[in-house]
Amino acid sequence: MNMLSDGDLQALWLTVRLATIVTMILLIIGTPIAWWLARTKTWWKGPASAVVALPLVLPPSVLGFYLLVVMGPNGPVGQLTQTLGIGLLPFTFWGLVIASVFYSLPFMVQPLKTAFEAVGDRPLEVAATLRASPLDAFFTVAVPLAAPGFLTASILTFAHTVGEFGVILMIGGNLPGITRVASVQIYDHVEALEYMQAHRLSAVMLIFSFVVLLALYMWRPNANKSY
Amino acid sequence: MRIKATNMTGIEARFQIDWPGFTLDVDLQLPSRGVTALFGHSGSGKTTLLRCISGLESTTKGRLVVDGDVWQDDKHRIPTHKRPIGYVFQEVNLFNHLSVINNLRYGMQRNGKTQQVSLDQAIMLLGIDHLLDRKPDHLSGGERQRVGIARALAVSPRLLLMDEPLAALDLKRKQEILPYLERLHDELDIPVIYVSHSPDEVARLADQLVVMNEGKVQATGCLADMFARLDLPFLVGENASIVLDAIVGELDKDWHMVRVDFDGGSLWIMDHGLPVGHRVRVGILARDVSLAEQPGVSSIQNILRGQIDAIADDRHPGLMLVRVKVGKTLFLARLTKRAATSLAVVQGQKVWLQVKSVALLQYNLS
Amino acid sequence: MKLIQTILLFCTLILPLVVKAEKITIAAASDLKFAMDEIVTAFKQTHPYDEVDVVYGSSGKFHTQIQQGAPYDLYFSADIKYAQSLASAGLAVSDVKAYAFGRIVLWSASLDASKMTLDSLLDLTISRIAIANPRHAPYGMRAVEALKASGLWDKLEPKLVYGENIAHTAQFVQTGNAQIGIVALALAVNPELSSKGDYYLIPDTLHTPLEQGFIITKLAEGKPAVRQFANYMSSQPARAVMIHYGFVLPDEVAGN
Repeated sequence: MNMLSDGDLQALWLTVRLATIVTMILLIIGTPIAWWLARTKTWWKGPASAVVALPLVLPPSVLGFYLLVVMGPNGPVGQLTQTLGIGLLPFTFWGLVIASVFYSLPFMVQPLKTAFEAVGDRPLEVAATLRASPLDAFFTVAVPLAAPGFLTASILTFAHTVGEFGVILMIGGNLPGITRVASVQIYDHVEALEYMQAHRLSAVMLIFSFVVLLALYMWRPNANKSY
Repeated sequence: MRIKATNMTGIEARFQIDWPGFTLDVDLQLPSRGVTALFGHSGSGKTTLLRCISGLESTTKGRLVVDGDVWQDDKHRIPTHKRPIGYVFQEVNLFNHLSVINNLRYGMQRNGKTQQVSLDQAIMLLGIDHLLDRKPDHLSGGERQRVGIARALAVSPRLLLMDEPLAALDLKRKQEILPYLERLHDELDIPVIYVSHSPDEVARLADQLVVMNEGKVQATGCLADMFARLDLPFLVGENASIVLDAIVGELDKDWHMVRVDFDGGSLWIMDHGLPVGHRVRVGILARDVSLAEQPGVSSIQNILRGQIDAIADDRHPGLMLVRVKVGKTLFLARLTKRAATSLAVVQGQKVWLQVKSVALLQYNLS
Repeated sequence: MKLIQTILLFCTLILPLVVKAEKITIAAASDLKFAMDEIVTAFKQTHPYDEVDVVYGSSGKFHTQIQQGAPYDLYFSADIKYAQSLASAGLAVSDVKAYAFGRIVLWSASLDASKMTLDSLLDLTISRIAIANPRHAPYGMRAVEALKASGLWDKLEPKLVYGENIAHTAQFVQTGNAQIGIVALALAVNPELSSKGDYYLIPDTLHTPLEQGFIITKLAEGKPAVRQFANYMSSQPARAVMIHYGFVLPDEVAGN
């Protein structure tokens, strides 16, 4: 069956690769941020939470534009990457990864923060009275207790990265196999009046999104009870 | 790193906290054996003091020395996870993601040192061997608290801290757990600091009592002395009572009664199958004790001779408390002021005590 | 009472929109950005009571939107074919009117493009060349044609990055993320860009003519102001603006 063209399949594969890498990176950097936000009592918790949540309300074009400027040859990040010999990040896959990490940050941090807040101080205090160091307690108590939150956060981050469009369009340069993800491919199909191809790829995305959300709603609430 | 202090046994605890709306200022010397109850209203600072001792309250100034080891002073502070303590929290705080046995092993595996209390011993003491494979949310409240206590014991603590372990349980569950706590007291040689606001629990379990009020220590001493004090508002009132430790002296099989002897006299109580020579603790409510000039004919079996030691007002304006010394033991009697006037009670007067009922608070048949 | 108040409030909010005599909404290809702004300003001096809104974007996107009933009165396409396609679908109430020919240029914010030709793009220091997406942007298609016609396509294709439309392409170059780009002359002559760098006009012999056309859509039926604006496009002041922005007007081509 030739439902999808090679270009479409390439775009889908690229999308999955991007979303997977972004989710993994955000698990690593989002977890300590969420942990800190859930437990700190300093006054700048407020401003920090606001910065993390910014991509939720910021138009993707604003984020894309700033990233384009900042990562460009005259921007601070661009100058840094050039000094390091990496070159410039716009129009590269890793440029997309970095942009998506910013863009999807709240989708990782918010559910994790909520999960960590729900765990509360007490289990960690209990762990401390049972000889567990704070790091030990984090991995053996906080993380397992927040497991449903990790699942939610990962699914949301993955799905949100898959659904990303504006930022990628702004800084991606639409390169096949490098920055042309599924959402951009669909946009191009529509622009080029290729409605049939647009329909097919869109249907794939629609089914994917539905399945992801279905999984999220069906599995999560029983994670604890169903033992 | 442990620094030895000069005082080799006992607990020296000095803490100051100054939070908005709450201050704690204590300087205590406690024996590091038996059960010491921290007793007081909610908000009196007893739980905070316990958290200071455990190291969970990190924002304090103070000094804590346990059997010569400095746990906290101005310069350094051993974090909670390096203190050889066991801690039982008020609410059930088992790790829900682990089975009962893995909850028990959690602290034990991290302890690393020689096991003073074995896991098997803890399981047996708390009677939880049939629960080991269950998840915590499949346990009753009482079962959970027993697992929590066993878990704290399984780390072989040098000091066991218990924060109102029964407060969250209903009366039936309390009755279920109390015998286990008494066994702990009898069978393990681990000092316990036990936070409670219940005079009943304290009477059954404690050896020493620290009465706290508004972040300060109001009184401290051995249990019998503290219960016989007239100036502690928690203890006087409707349930004012004394506790005394005694030894079973004689069995009366025909009448199903036993005689228990204390320093200064003896009392007859209902037989609970106690063998002669066994130690028991009994409680006598002040309202169950009446005074007489002469030992008249009466249904009351326990009549003792004593001397009035002190007199104080009760909370109710029509009542008063009279403390009577029998040998070296202090009894409290609560009288109406009218009765006291007709008896013309004065300090130093010799009187007869009539004890209407005696509650058996603590005994162990094992 | 409360209900009446609510209805009155609602009416006051909605009335100005209903009563307004005439409002023109124009969908225009991004290359018209600066030229159309000036033309609209001039038009409003003679038609002060009409309100004119211009939306800039890619011709392909507007094409799809108008098919789906988007409320545009006029559609200025960078490629006349899009306008013709709508007209043959019966979505226009006017003939397709050719209004200009577009030209493409090399433009850079960091290099002096005026001293370059297409061959200069082979320079190894140039790693990124921005063009509009040739799949749907007319200027992008012409850029590809020009590169192919000059035999540079195979060598340059790996260096290309694609903007969503011609304005987005210019943005890549403006921010320096691409050292150089092939953009519309109409954009390169605008002070916004011309202050940052000069351009090189790519010979129009290298690509098919980029004929641009507009239509009045079905939605504008019975709107006299829309026709007035359409006519104004052929007026002398409007033509002057178009020429100023580097558009070649249809009758001038005939003259050539």
